[in-house]
Amino acid sequence: MNAITFSQVRKAYGGVQAVDGLDLALPAGQSVALLGPNGAGKSTSLGMLLGLARPDSGTIGVFGHDPAEAVARGLVGAMLQDGSLPEGLTVAETVSFVHGLYPDPLPLAEVMELADLTALARRRASRLSGGQAQRVRFAMAIAGAPRLLVLDEPTAAMDVESRRAFWAGMRAYARGGRTVLFATHHLEEADENADRVVVIAAGRAVADGTPEEVKRAAGGRTVRFTLGDQPSAGLDLLPGVTGVRIEGATAVLRTGDSDATAEALFTRSGLRIRDLEIGGAGLEEAFLSLTRPAEGA
Amino acid sequence: MPAYLRLEILRTLRDRRFLFFTLAFPVCLFLLFSTVFAAPGETEPGTGLTVAQYMMVAFGSYGAIGASLNATGPRLAAELDGGWLRQLRVTPLAAWKVVTVRIATALVLALPSLALVALTAALTQDVRLPVGRWIALLVLLSVATLPFAALGTLVGATVKADTAQPATLMVYLPMAVVGGLWLPVSQLPDFLRTLAPWTPANRMAEIGWDLVGGHAPSAAAVAVLAAWTAAFGALALLGYRRVTVAS
Repeated sequence: MNAITFSQVRKAYGGVQAVDGLDLALPAGQSVALLGPNGAGKSTSLGMLLGLARPDSGTIGVFGHDPAEAVARGLVGAMLQDGSLPEGLTVAETVSFVHGLYPDPLPLAEVMELADLTALARRRASRLSGGQAQRVRFAMAIAGAPRLLVLDEPTAAMDVESRRAFWAGMRAYARGGRTVLFATHHLEEADENADRVVVIAAGRAVADGTPEEVKRAAGGRTVRFTLGDQPSAGLDLLPGVTGVRIEGATAVLRTGDSDATAEALFTRSGLRIRDLEIGGAGLEEAFLSLTRPAEGA
Repeated sequence: MPAYLRLEILRTLRDRRFLFFTLAFPVCLFLLFSTVFAAPGETEPGTGLTVAQYMMVAFGSYGAIGASLNATGPRLAAELDGGWLRQLRVTPLAAWKVVTVRIATALVLALPSLALVALTAALTQDVRLPVGRWIALLVLLSVATLPFAALGTLVGATVKADTAQPATLMVYLPMAVVGGLWLPVSQLPDFLRTLAPWTPANRMAEIGWDLVGGHAPSAAAVAVLAAWTAAFGALALLGYRRVTVAS
C-alpha cells in the first residue's frame, strides 16, 4: 500500500503557482528525500500533506485517508520548519505532552534517547539553542510512533555534529518499516539518508529514483582530461556523452557511461589523452542540471 | 483534553508577570481603596453594600478579568506567531479541543484572583458571608469571565505577538473603569454612568454585588454577558479561520 499519493496537485499563493501538477506515489517503508532549491514548492507540498493547507485541485492520500484524517488518527508525525517551543515548560513536559496525544506511542524513554534529549530533559524548552530545540521538535514528531514521519528541512539550525546525530536518530526510527519523507536542499543529506530522491523544481517532480539513478539521469559522471590545443569537435558524439565543457586547456565531458566514453576517447577520438580523470558528478551537479532549466520558467 | 488543560494551567502559573498582575496587584488595590479611601462602615449608595463588600467584588472581578484576558490574548498571539499552534495542528489534538481548553483555562485561572481578594476582604475588612454564598460568588463570577475569555481569544487571533500585551491592556483598563471597578459607578461622569450597564465588566460585578447582597443575579446582567460572549466568540472564530484555514 502507498503511504503517500499526490495526484495532479496544484496550489497557488498570491498569483504564484507554488505546486503545479505534482504526481507522486511513495510506498510504505521508504525513506524519501524531497530535494529542491528554495521556492521549489517543497514546504507547500508538505503543508498540504499534513492537512495544514488544501490543494486548489488534485488529491492527496495518506495511507488511503484524507491528510487531516490521517493526522487525527495519529498516523503522522511532523517536524515543521518554524516553530518556537512553548514558554514555561521543560523539555520532558513538552515531549511527554505530545506523546500523550497519540493512541499508540513509543516508550517515552526511547523517544528521548532517539532524539538525544535525555540530558536536557529538565531544561526549559524555550531557552534551548537552535539545534537543541530542533531535537525537541524531532522528539515531538516521533513520539507518537507515527507510520509516516514528515521532516521539513530538519537540520536547518544544526551544526555538523548535531546533523550527524540527528540523521542517525532518523535512520534508527525509519528502520522499523516506517515511512519518512524529508525536504532538504542539502544534497549530501538526500544522498546519504534517502532510499529515493524526488527532485522538485517549480512545483513539479523533475526526477525521481534512487540517489544513483538521479545522478545518472542528469548525466551521471564526469570525464575530464587535458585537451591542450587539440580540437574539441566531435567529443559530444562519443558514446555516453551528454555534455561537453571546455575549461581552459581541460575538457570536461558529462557522461551516462564513463567506461564507454573513456574507452572511445583512447581508441576512436584520435586525440592525445593526458591526465584523464573520471569522477562522480555528485548529486550537486545532478541537481543543478535538473533544476536549472526549470528555474527560468 | 485534561492533559492539555493541566499543561496550560501549569504554564500560566509559572509566568511571574501573570501572577503579579492577576493576584498581587488586585489585592493591593483592594487594600488601598478599602482602607485608605473609605471610612469604616461606610456604604456605597448604588448597591447599599459596605464599601469593603463593594470593593471586594470590584477588585476580585478586576483581577479575574485580567487573568482571563492575559491567559488568552497574549499567549495565543505568541503561539500563533511562534508556530506552536501549528505544531499542535499536526498532532491528533483537534482544533476545537484546543480552543475549548484555552477558554476553560481562562475560567479556571480567574478563580484564584477572586478567591485571594475575597480572603483578603474576610481577613482584613471583616467581610462575612454564609459559606454557600461565598461558593456561589466565586463560581458564578469565574463563569462570568466568559466574555473576556472570548475577547482575549479574539485579540490573540487578530493582533501580532509583540502588540498583544499593550492591546490587552488597552481594552482591559478602560473596561474596568467604565464598568465601575475602580470607582463606584455612582461616582462616574454622567455619560459613563449611562454606558456602564452595557459593558460586560459592570454586569459581571453586578452579579457579584447582587450575590453579596443576597439577591439572585438579574436576567439583564446574564443577557448582557451572554450577548458579549456571543459577539466576541463569533469574531474570534472568524479571526482564527482567517489565520489558519485560509493558508
